[in-house]
Amino acid sequence: MRLTAFLSMAAKAAFPHDYRFGTNRPWTIAAKRMNPPGKKRRKVFVEPIPYDEWSVFRGDTVEILSGKDKGKQGKVTQVFRHRNWVILEGLNTHFRYIGKSANYRGTYIASEAPLLLRDISLIDPTDRKPTEVEWRFTEEGEKVRVSVRTGRIVPKPVVQRRDGIIPQQWKDGPKDTSPEDTLEKTYMPSLKTLEEEVMEKLGIEEPRRNQKSYWY
Amino acid sequence: MAATSAGRVLTLCRQFQNAFRISTTLSAQQSTVTLTKGRSYPHRLPSTLLSSSWSCNLDLAVQCRPLHTTISRRGLEEFFDIPENWGEATVKSGAPWTAKQLRTKSNEDLHKLWYVLLKEKNMLLTIEQESKRQGQQMPSPERLKKIDRSIRRLDTVVKERENALRLLQTGQERARPGDWRKDVFGRIYWYRFREHALPWYMNRRYKRKRFYTPAFVAPHLRLRLEKYLRAKTRKQKKESENQAVLKEKFPQMQAKSQ
Repeated sequence: MRLTAFLSMAAKAAFPHDYRFGTNRPWTIAAKRMNPPGKKRRKVFVEPIPYDEWSVFRGDTVEILSGKDKGKQGKVTQVFRHRNWVILEGLNTHFRYIGKSANYRGTYIASEAPLLLRDISLIDPTDRKPTEVEWRFTEEGEKVRVSVRTGRIVPKPVVQRRDGIIPQQWKDGPKDTSPEDTLEKTYMPSLKTLEEEVMEKLGIEEPRRNQKSYWY
Repeated sequence: MAATSAGRVLTLCRQFQNAFRISTTLSAQQSTVTLTKGRSYPHRLPSTLLSSSWSCNLDLAVQCRPLHTTISRRGLEEFFDIPENWGEATVKSGAPWTAKQLRTKSNEDLHKLWYVLLKEKNMLLTIEQESKRQGQQMPSPERLKKIDRSIRRLDTVVKERENALRLLQTGQERARPGDWRKDVFGRIYWYRFREHALPWYMNRRYKRKRFYTPAFVAPHLRLRLEKYLRAKTRKQKKESENQAVLKEKFPQMQAKSQ
């Protein structure tokens, strides 16, 4: 096999076809404890939602429609697409002890349980009531979420990037290219390969020709 | 449309990429040519200056008697980060180059950028190895990933341009010649040609390769085909059973199945 293909295969994480995804990330110890290599659990059926029709994102404010905290609104902290789960901040909690050791009983904390997408509804920004949401195109051609009941656009939540960078406040480093240089168009299409063009620019003349070789 | 595209351009402007301030010192001419990304290239061509100075150097070398001097250490500092970043826990870096941005650049620019990225990658790999040796965390390892992606995208863009030119001028779809051949096991695969100095009828090792299926393999071909068909049918049946269960559980929406 080609080396690059082999390396990329190794880099991509491979899960068995009946892997049960939980709230823990697959590379953590807790997930490995819950999913040891030989385990077989009852299959979990997940409603297939196409990638383009997914409407709930991290940072959205949603309302719970059924369950313990029915009627409450909360912010989405985590989204699990492979199980149609959503974790809200501080809602739908159960209590457990964390960091238990031999002598210490552990810290009693509230941990959130995931909610299915069926039990969640996005909120209309104007009247703060739960609505059905559709994906529609604006006049500019942008795809936006529109509440079916009132027709108002539900804006995409502003979430801080994971690397902590705020694009508006970015300052160039010494090794960064300025925006003007990045967007400057210098390409002139021509019937020359890169090598020929570069040799021309550098003034390299190669009068030698390749020896006859055989390809088979 | 205009507002959002301007907004997108603005956000693009705020994502910056890696460049390098290359400074070359030429001993023959005692002059320093600094190539800064913003100003000099692609309009100025200091590369011609470089080539003339190197040829000057060679002439001098031919005329003088060979003389042993101390090893020059210029340029080794380029294997390490700039002194301001020494000892920092995190070093901030901009976004990697996207293929869309690279496609707007000329071949000469891409050629220069390739070496800039290569040197940066060498620098980061040195830092990584050094931190491993000292048993410490490498500062900002995401820089390596960004550089890798930029290099791969640059390669993709260059390959695209090569492909387009070749298709236009010769009609050949592939850069490397090859052929569909049968191996000893009866499987048909794309055999990629290799370059040789001798023709095939004089190459003993090549003549020992078998690009045909011996007669005793024929019964196994049928068995292999049966195995493959059985596996395929099993998979299809499983998929249709899965679909039936999903439809039963979620009757409302059955838009697209995985």
